Amino acid sequence: MKLISVIGARPQIIKAAAVSRAIAKHNKKHPNRTIIEIIAHTGQHYDENMSQVFFKELDIPEPNYNLGVGSGSHGQQTGKMLARIEAVLLKERPNLCVVYGDTNSTLAGALAAAKLHIPVAHVEAGLRSFKRRMPEEINRVVTDHVSELLFCPTQTSVDNLAKEGISAGVHQVGDVMYDCILFYIKKTKSIEKQILEKVGIRSKSYYLATVHRAENTDDGARLAHIFKALSEIAATDCPVVLPLHPRTVKYARNHGLEFANCVKVIQPVSYLEMVALENNARLILTDSGGVQKEAYWLSVPCVTLRDETEWVETVESGWNTLAGADKCRIIDSVRHYHTQPDENPESIYGNGNAAKQICKILQQEKIIKMAGSIQEI
Amino acid sequence: MKKRILIVAGARPNFVKIAPLMYEFGRHKRLFEVVLVHTGQHYDFEMSDVFFQNLKITKPDIHLNVGSVSHAVQTAKIMIAFEHAILEQKPDLVIVVGDVNSTLACSLVASKLNIRIAHVEAGLRSFDRTMPEEINRMVTDSLSDYLFVSEKNGLRNLKREGIDPNKIYFVGNVMIDTLSANLSIINESDILSRLRLTCNEYSVVTLHRPSNVDSAETIAEVFDILRAVSREVKMVYPIHPRTRKMIRKHKFSSKFEELGNLLLINPLSYIDFIKLVKESKFVITDSGGIQEETTSLGVPCLTMRENTERPVTIEEGTNYLVGRSKTKVLSFVKKIINGKSKNGSIPELWDGKSAKRIVKIISMIQ
Repeated sequence: MKLISVIGARPQIIKAAAVSRAIAKHNKKHPNRTIIEIIAHTGQHYDENMSQVFFKELDIPEPNYNLGVGSGSHGQQTGKMLARIEAVLLKERPNLCVVYGDTNSTLAGALAAAKLHIPVAHVEAGLRSFKRRMPEEINRVVTDHVSELLFCPTQTSVDNLAKEGISAGVHQVGDVMYDCILFYIKKTKSIEKQILEKVGIRSKSYYLATVHRAENTDDGARLAHIFKALSEIAATDCPVVLPLHPRTVKYARNHGLEFANCVKVIQPVSYLEMVALENNARLILTDSGGVQKEAYWLSVPCVTLRDETEWVETVESGWNTLAGADKCRIIDSVRHYHTQPDENPESIYGNGNAAKQICKILQQEKIIKMAGSIQEI
Repeated sequence: MKKRILIVAGARPNFVKIAPLMYEFGRHKRLFEVVLVHTGQHYDFEMSDVFFQNLKITKPDIHLNVGSVSHAVQTAKIMIAFEHAILEQKPDLVIVVGDVNSTLACSLVASKLNIRIAHVEAGLRSFDRTMPEEINRMVTDSLSDYLFVSEKNGLRNLKREGIDPNKIYFVGNVMIDTLSANLSIINESDILSRLRLTCNEYSVVTLHRPSNVDSAETIAEVFDILRAVSREVKMVYPIHPRTRKMIRKHKFSSKFEELGNLLLINPLSYIDFIKLVKESKFVITDSGGIQEETTSLGVPCLTMRENTERPVTIEEGTNYLVGRSKTKVLSFVKKIINGKSKNGSIPELWDGKSAKRIVKIISMIQ
């Protein structure tokens, strides 16, 4: 069995690594029926943080192919990826193509493989925001519709697929990011003290904020609301730590947006440092999808700076609140969490063994049979 | 304000489908400004000046010139070029038709740029994902804002996929619009005398799908069937250059040429081809559109595939699915020759007015 994992954005690399580790474990245990994994990196995100240090720090295998696509308009980026991924698929002739999440790399990998009759497996299938204006939503819907194997993190995602007439090949395995958090939280112990000292804060005495989504960072009005809310919270309630992309810093400066002194704006941090900061925060404010869940798994209350979320279960559980980019709602939501929710978070995202389950399903005979040989084109 | 509409066509059947739309939009010039984009997916012999004159469509306004390459490379090139076209033209709506790579690529680009998409011939499903067209159909429908459905089975398929019913419109078949509008010119075609054929005394073959012609094994099966049929009735096979190449590659050229009762000819113009089909005893095909055209013309059709995305042609029309089964083909041929094949009826709304319905619906879009 030979599979190709197509990755490109940072979160995908981390998710794929969980599956890679499960495959490595499997291969050690079953040397007579190993899974060969080839990793193709589209180059969608490829910056300093993606250097060898990144791969080493996170115990991630380095990609076999770097396709070097880089950034560009949606059409350009996806187009280039399609052509280059196809070339790799034709060269490697895998039995299966595995894609992760909802980026252009996900879409391009799925389409290129489907057209070559290579079965597609989608990890993190069935998520829907029901907002068609989000490019990620288009990527999700299209990828799910061309996939043969759909690995869903939750019951909601299984139900979403059923509503679109997709039930064959659907497996609820839990969330691979939960696997990742469990794996990395152990690794943060060695750097925890260092990063807290570097930022100048103590455990559970700060709020952590992240703002990176285009809907917030490219919209002066929304960004202003968020900045004002963070300033007020920091001044009256508790210090706020905000790792911010230099691009957003520049954008804010150009729009005359400033922070009160108690907001500690820091350079972007590595993934492990981020997990450490999340784990030690008293509360998290974020517009990231992944951070909402990480907060949940770490039992840290979360205020989401968006109008909707794919992770509705975190909101339903009481551990996450949607506040949009509305100053008053953000401040109110934070105040609401001065008392922590009573119940501990439930395991709605599986048991942290999603990668192992995926690996097991890939070994099923019917899957191996389905993953036949590639036809000539 | 006029609605600005980009219509995309890439392959020959796409142009047959957009012709009636172009005509209808042209009748309402005060409401619409229409730009025709030719992706260049098919660009060769089939797309000559005669082809455009035949269908009475103006030449495309924008050429993307992508050419025939592998699926992903072609889709990629169309995406990059079409993104430029959209950013330059700033349309209110993009119309895509059918199920080719251009359909998929342009709807992906439009949806990412938040331009509304209308898909003409939505909802068709063969449920065979090894057909590249099936992927194109599913993806395009999942991205479209207006889905114009040609047969009732399409409504069921879209419902099953959870597509919002408010987006779906049952309008009938635009290809039949083109056929009806050109019927008098079709009747005047002299193709029969040019090929020295007599009305109702020959059959037509159009086989070009990779599943039938790309391997030596399948060509051998196809050849065996055609040889048997040609013993019963004269056959005419207008053949794609690509198919000719495949037959040559697998060393079947001389075998085909030696069949005395099978005439291999170059592809025909739309008008001549429909005339040829209309006056034939029956058609053997693996194409999508011809299954519909034969149903509309009441000509028996044997489809050499295991499935069809156009089941109404079987349920109500004159179509039979025969795969590559020689027994099936011969038994249906015998039935047809003995006048015992099904009569067929015209499916609902295949009345030559589908483009009118579509344009009316689009005119009401806010």
